Amino acid sequence: MLWYKSWLDTRWRFLIGLALLVLAAFGIVLYYPEVVKLLPLVPSIDTSSGLGRRIKEAAELQRTYGGYIFSQWFGQTPTQIGTLFAVLLGSGGAVSQGAPLFTLSLPVSRNRLFAVRAAAGLAEWLVLALVPSLLIPLLSPAVGQTYGIGSALVHATCLFVVGAVFFSLALLLSTVFTDFWRPLLLACAAAFVLGLAELLARDLSRYGLFTLMRGEVYFRTGALPWQGLLVSAALSVSMLYGAAMNLARRDF
Amino acid sequence: MADAWVIETTDLRKTYDGTEALRGLTLQVPAGSVFGFLGKNGAGKTTTIKVLLGMVRPTGGDARVFGLAADAQPASVEIRRRTGFVSEDKDLFDYMDVETMIRFTAAFYPRWSRDLERRYLRKFDLPLDRKVKALSRGMRTKLALLVALCRGAELLVLDEPTSGLDPAMTEEVLQALVSHVAGEQMTVFFSSHQIAEVEQIADRVAIVDRGRVVVAGALDDLRESYRRIQLVFDREAPQPAFRAPGVVRVRRDRRVITVLSSAGAEAIVDEARALGPTSVDVVPVALKEIFLETVVGED
Repeated sequence: MLWYKSWLDTRWRFLIGLALLVLAAFGIVLYYPEVVKLLPLVPSIDTSSGLGRRIKEAAELQRTYGGYIFSQWFGQTPTQIGTLFAVLLGSGGAVSQGAPLFTLSLPVSRNRLFAVRAAAGLAEWLVLALVPSLLIPLLSPAVGQTYGIGSALVHATCLFVVGAVFFSLALLLSTVFTDFWRPLLLACAAAFVLGLAELLARDLSRYGLFTLMRGEVYFRTGALPWQGLLVSAALSVSMLYGAAMNLARRDF
Repeated sequence: MADAWVIETTDLRKTYDGTEALRGLTLQVPAGSVFGFLGKNGAGKTTTIKVLLGMVRPTGGDARVFGLAADAQPASVEIRRRTGFVSEDKDLFDYMDVETMIRFTAAFYPRWSRDLERRYLRKFDLPLDRKVKALSRGMRTKLALLVALCRGAELLVLDEPTSGLDPAMTEEVLQALVSHVAGEQMTVFFSSHQIAEVEQIADRVAIVDRGRVVVAGALDDLRESYRRIQLVFDREAPQPAFRAPGVVRVRRDRRVITVLSSAGAEAIVDEARALGPTSVDVVPVALKEIFLETVVGED
């Protein structure tokens, strides 16, 4: 029943996120023929300015279908919308939402309450990371292209593992604050600052969470970013552990 | 004797950010009693209940329910398994409908009684398909009571169960509670600042003030032992200094001295006669007076 409660607590956030990401996946795949028509215009882009150079680089990436999917899908939509929904799924926590005193009066330990909430949220986030990404190889034949399921899985894994960091951060903050909005806003602010830092410090961006989330290393070299994924997973586990400890100690 | 106490706290303390909510609260609730926990707003009633149910960790002292330490994690789960609870705000899941709320709660209690559930659904006339957030305050209280009563609990803990209800609804809720307790082997511990409802259903009472129990005992014993002794003088009343035990409070107002005693009124009267009053009256004291004298009187 705790699983059911967790589902009821988060179902609208999850379903809205899933609908948005699925629609975006459809849109991006089905729009590819239009992009192909624009590709002949790429050589005429003026590269004397920094902006022109970057537009040309981005456009060049789209000469292959794999590059297009990376730049338009894995590099953008799930990273941005996904981060927001990972944070949304973590916000509210195990007890703060709804009726805290009723929840705490149930014959269930706080650790179990937390474990179920965290596991249910992570399962929903896994679906958000996996399903729309796996739609890409399934939809690609509709535009006469192919995309490997293996590649989609690797990108979805990067998305899930790094998104779990933001999910865990929101869950941790939810054990500190009693309301829904402060954990959400603070976790979003943290993600925004990290994203901005990666954009400004391009030399260091290869160590950035969002670079890892996009699966950029895998796209460019074909190698799995094991170290980054392990560090992210460790970060999530530590934050979840901290959140569980916080919840166990907290007065309501 | 320890097993006879369903709830037992000793020198219980709780401090929130430097504010002392409980200041050495010592309390014993016997099995099978209907125990009224009376106090002003902010006296420490809700904090005590939260400590008993493991929602708040005490800063000091000891709290036991069914002989189990309330602040130990596995014991606390066992306490909650055997306890029904209704919070002051009637905390329930707003997004569930009445039936889902009942089924959700029932899933945690193996001793859940479907017969009682059916009986209270009929009695309270609760609409199964209505969302909890759409229920009136009274209906919400009834639902909170239903999910607390049907779980086969040995102890019912109610925090201000009738707060916010109109008199008719208050009466209905209290009657339901009384008739339930009459048919079940259970202990009821309920907090209130409504003296009338405590007098109506409680057989034992504790008055709490500023985090401490100031009066405790069987309601009949308190009524029996507390007396107001009024001494009237034909001159300015002398400054009294009673040595007899049981003097709770002495008030002196021109020609009148009023003494509230918790026991041994006869000895106090004997001592008072030595002051030379023109008249001495000894009258029984209602719970309301005891409350006002022991709680409000200390302000």
